[in-house]
Amino acid sequence: MMNRRNFLGTQAALTLGMAQSVSWAQSGDAIRIGVLIPLTGATSQYGASMSKAAQQAAADVNAAGGVNGRKVEVVIEDDQSNPEAAVRAARKLIDVDKVVSIGGLYASSVTSAVAPLCWEGKVVLATASGADSITKLPHNGYIFRTSPTVTLQGTRIGNFGLELGCKRVFYMGPQTPFAQLFIDVVGGVFTKAGGYGSGLIYEDKKASYRSEVDQALKAKPDLIIVGGYVPDSTVLLKDLYRAGYEGKRIGLSYSINQKVADALPPAVTEGAYSLVQSPSVESGAYKKLLARASADSLDTFFCQVYDYVTMVALALANSPKAATNGTTVRDNIRNVTHQAAGSQLVDTPAEGLKALAANARINLDGASGPLEFAENGDAKNIVFRLRADPEGKDSRHQDRLSGPRRGH
Amino acid sequence: MFGDFIQHLANGLILGAVVALPALGLTLIFSVLGFINFSIAAQMSVGAYAGWLVNSHLHWPLVPVLLVGFAAAGVVGVIGDRLALSPIRRRPSAHTALMVAIVSIALNLAIENGLRFGFGSDLNSFEFEIARDITIAGIRIGPQQLANLLIALCIAGLLSVFFTVTRVGKAMRAVADNPDLARLKGIDPRRLSDLATFIGMGLAGIGGALLAIDTTVDPSTGSRLLLIIFSASIVGGMTSLTGAVLGALLIGVVSEVALMAIPPVYQSATAFLMILLVLLFRPSGLFAGASGVRK
Repeated sequence: MMNRRNFLGTQAALTLGMAQSVSWAQSGDAIRIGVLIPLTGATSQYGASMSKAAQQAAADVNAAGGVNGRKVEVVIEDDQSNPEAAVRAARKLIDVDKVVSIGGLYASSVTSAVAPLCWEGKVVLATASGADSITKLPHNGYIFRTSPTVTLQGTRIGNFGLELGCKRVFYMGPQTPFAQLFIDVVGGVFTKAGGYGSGLIYEDKKASYRSEVDQALKAKPDLIIVGGYVPDSTVLLKDLYRAGYEGKRIGLSYSINQKVADALPPAVTEGAYSLVQSPSVESGAYKKLLARASADSLDTFFCQVYDYVTMVALALANSPKAATNGTTVRDNIRNVTHQAAGSQLVDTPAEGLKALAANARINLDGASGPLEFAENGDAKNIVFRLRADPEGKDSRHQDRLSGPRRGH
Repeated sequence: MFGDFIQHLANGLILGAVVALPALGLTLIFSVLGFINFSIAAQMSVGAYAGWLVNSHLHWPLVPVLLVGFAAAGVVGVIGDRLALSPIRRRPSAHTALMVAIVSIALNLAIENGLRFGFGSDLNSFEFEIARDITIAGIRIGPQQLANLLIALCIAGLLSVFFTVTRVGKAMRAVADNPDLARLKGIDPRRLSDLATFIGMGLAGIGGALLAIDTTVDPSTGSRLLLIIFSASIVGGMTSLTGAVLGALLIGVVSEVALMAIPPVYQSATAFLMILLVLLFRPSGLFAGASGVRK
């Protein structure tokens, strides 16, 4: 039986509890969206760009009135290009910041390490990594990939190598979740065309790759695919030059980029191709984003992070009465990004939020791609465009890597 | 097959030459002070940055660049030792050597992050031209790497002379052998420990600069090779300077020749395996009896 003292105590506790919840609501209680990106370390070349994209997307969402009357806040953490540091940062984002999702992840090893924390914590993971193995994990629908898979990338690069007239390809890269698959896919493309394809996987922290280069040159390749990150690619390119290799060299943007060109004498990188994955440059979403960001061009990783934050915000706005958590985001992402009967095409957060407020069904088109996802979370109908920047057009590094473009 | 073996042997000697100087530094400090100073990796990066600064801004040639790398790493090494390690050494206990080694890991991280704070994480390169390899009797050798090997051997020779001929060198050996007896003879162990740290870290600085000429200058330039440097010192016997050089060359050769049988991705396993085998069958190191600080 409840006596007067107990009754008063219960009332006091209830009043305190209510007061606390009111004060939370009054203090803003922003919706937190996690961004885990490489700001330092071997894969940091796009970190600053990704960080800017997240802030720009949050600002655009908030300028359009926020989500369900609440502000959106992006919590940015540095994964240091290192899976262990990434796991620590992800724990903080999930347990301390209580984010509804984590996005931006770049290196496949980092994404693979963080993924179990996300699906166990019921937090959506949006990744820009390519390793096919990521979406094969038992993620219960919490993983979405905004980037093309390695199978798609490898096939495209293999075909580009054939277009250059090469017959024998050799892949050299460090141990990553995608290295062996890359060798198999690119090798397969060349073998099917009557050529030869092989490769080797090396250790990433070496002072010299002389023996690995010797092993590669034994295969007499006329095309070497440089598959490492900046520190090891720099050493590998030097050793290829020292060994007198005269064939073609291709690297994706994480292997051969401006940082590598700046760190090496021009003679070493001359003629090397840097293949840059391109955003959806013809889309309305890209053009509008370009204008809002006041930029001449935007890289694909900027666009992918921008699209990720927009997608999460719209997913939550699509179900205003549901709890604000990762499961709501997971369950609503396809509802706001896929074409459906009567859905309205939108390509900015403001357009999306306005349409949702009017109870319309929306189909968000992104600056990075169409934002359609297969059942396993892989991006669907994505066009993997490559921009190949041949070097040697100018004595300045800056110009050599951002020189004439070839659309693919 | 034999040609391949010789080529791997040459590649191994070249790798060993890069490792030899920091391994010499680590061994020297352990011999005189009795603890393993893991901050040697960051001191390699300090030497690399110092050399890079005078090369890229003042266009200094190789030898002055190496001297600057030596001096900068030596000075930073002594300052780090005075600030972080010496206070712990002055409170002797059963765990002092272990505690000093652990604090040296923290010091390594602090210096590395200090470099990152000051210079950023970007990679930098020396202005030296990268020479194409020359082929002698079918064996490919890099002129720069060959120079590294010769420089490492010359410095090891000079150190050997320093310890056997000079008064200060002999005093250092006395401190290494029996610090209390040395003090009774009027030798100041503190001054000598500063000198040992200066020379040891300076050697790491030269090693870092040579390594960075081959690779790149960044805050992690040294720490990438820490394991292999440590292995070289252990294989060499920790107290023998000749042993450190031979250990480095042996580690380099074994890990490169092993590539004939194992995939490159498992290469560092050979260094672990060598530490394991040496500690199991000859804990004092393969070359512990060779000339050095204590012998």
